[in-house]
Amino acid sequence: MTVAADKLDPVSEDGIRRLVDAFYVKVRADPALAPIFARAIRSDWQPHLTKMYAFWSSVMLTTGRYKGNPVAKHLIVPDIKPELFERWLALFDATCREQFDNATSEAFRIKAERIAESLKLALFYRPERPWPPEPAP
Amino acid sequence: MTFVVTDNCIKCKYMDCVEVCPVDCFYEGENMLVIHPDECIDCGVCEPECPADAISADTEPGLESWVRLNAEYAAVWPNITIKREPPADAKAFDGVANKLGQYFSANPGQGD
Repeated sequence: MTVAADKLDPVSEDGIRRLVDAFYVKVRADPALAPIFARAIRSDWQPHLTKMYAFWSSVMLTTGRYKGNPVAKHLIVPDIKPELFERWLALFDATCREQFDNATSEAFRIKAERIAESLKLALFYRPERPWPPEPAP
Repeated sequence: MTFVVTDNCIKCKYMDCVEVCPVDCFYEGENMLVIHPDECIDCGVCEPECPADAISADTEPGLESWVRLNAEYAAVWPNITIKREPPADAKAFDGVANKLGQYFSANPGQGD
């Protein structure tokens, strides 16, 4: 199987914008994630998308464009649950594979999984409970 | 999981890491930096940026004392997000062994 030529580009700001835009189209159509994001974002998505371009630019291109506190932002999201992170990761990985070649998709997947794990630890880890958390019955 | 700053930062303090950190989780002592373990999101961007190779994932073996030191001083030292000039003798101390025992200062740095 050959990969389309436009999938072989190295990561660029343009590639990140396409990824983020395509990913949030999926999020907004997802039964589990859409209501969580809809409550957090309400109407205008562009500020969130712009922030996410900067975030992934910082993480993948080391540009320092994003400065923020994602742990604090996630702590105030109502109904956030560990299993929603798994859904988020699955959609993100699927979008990466549509946009990029295998090696680039893998690089995004590895970063996303590490960041998700650290956010989950910050949000849900309690010394007296088992880790990883078991899904709610 | 988090990244931690280790021995070779002491008296080198190049500060390249603070510019690339997306979550501003570096804190400054008089002669080294530390990472706040509750703020680091494990993105790993800082690790290859360190000219002194002083940043490691806390999952690497033998770093338990550095994990504790980072947590302890991140709670009391000032936040740093803007790189300044490294110490004039940074290069001379790059790679010197066991700097913790000889040179570590618990005093806070100036921060931003």
